[in-house]
Amino acid sequence: MSAQVLVFDILSVIAVLAALGVVLARNPVHSAVSLAFTFVNLAAIYVILRAEFLAVVQIIVYTGAILVLVLFVIMLVHQEDLPEFHGGQPLQRVFGFLVGLVLLGEVAAAILTRTAVGQVGPWSPQQVAAAGGNVQALGEVLYSGYVLPIQATAVVLLVATIGALVLARPDVVTVPIGMARQVLTISLGHPRGDGEEETFEVPMLPAGTTTKAEAGDRELVMAKTGDEFTDKPAWGEHRTR
Amino acid sequence: MSQLTPDHFLFLSAALFIIGLMGVLTRRNVLVIFMCIELMLNAVNVSFIGFAWEQNSMVGQAFALFVIAIAAAESVVGLGIIMALSRRRDTVDINAVRDLRE
Repeated sequence: MSAQVLVFDILSVIAVLAALGVVLARNPVHSAVSLAFTFVNLAAIYVILRAEFLAVVQIIVYTGAILVLVLFVIMLVHQEDLPEFHGGQPLQRVFGFLVGLVLLGEVAAAILTRTAVGQVGPWSPQQVAAAGGNVQALGEVLYSGYVLPIQATAVVLLVATIGALVLARPDVVTVPIGMARQVLTISLGHPRGDGEEETFEVPMLPAGTTTKAEAGDRELVMAKTGDEFTDKPAWGEHRTR
Repeated sequence: MSQLTPDHFLFLSAALFIIGLMGVLTRRNVLVIFMCIELMLNAVNVSFIGFAWEQNSMVGQAFALFVIAIAAAESVVGLGIIMALSRRRDTVDINAVRDLRE
């Protein structure tokens, strides 16, 4: 049993040191690598605590998916020189450190004076082995008592996917393609130099756009579909910022 | 030192959580703050799984699984927000985002 404690302590120390590396590293990439260390060590600790399935999930979801996503975003985002790298805001730093120390003291006191012991559950190691293993036991618990939360989680994941799609939409959108096509159709019906020019009052045009009469001798952009538009802004096609 | 007790993983969990909290309080890079939030979620998972181990229960592991699922959803939305932020403001400094205050 003592070997178990030794292994647990080693893993814990490495996990905590790597967590400190996340906070203290200047380069966000180094933070991400430290975080990967922490996650892998925590997965090993989950194995010690008889949660084999969650250890695998930890590796796959956290280290495999979330951290890779974070690294991608670090590559995509422009990393400017943040003032914290030059020792700015010492008050914030000291305050955060003090809050952490106070909180650590409080939690340590709570842990050391802990007396409440709940009712021991039915899943002893023998019982888990009789059910067929950790995955089977966890599945029995999940799909007997937690069916509604699982479905709610599925909905949350779906909503998060849609939300990510909405957030990742391009910023500059040429929205009124359909509107521009409509306006072009109207104005092409009356070629230039055909007697008196009329100014069309198109109600859906936003303020500030020029109609044909005000456009002067600018060349016409002939387009039948939205794909044929050139860089030249046509009437009604305005860029929204 | 002879047997694994709840104090072991409780102290580990507390240490990880507080390190993550200090990171959130002191750092200014949005991405590092995001990673510290993930760290805090993992600390909570350690507590859940440790108590499940102590009490011979599977409920703690079930809750840890839910926490992991929600963390995945949160990371997707959070990284989307960070991308939108960097595209609009060209910054990852959390102090540059103070529209609600002004």
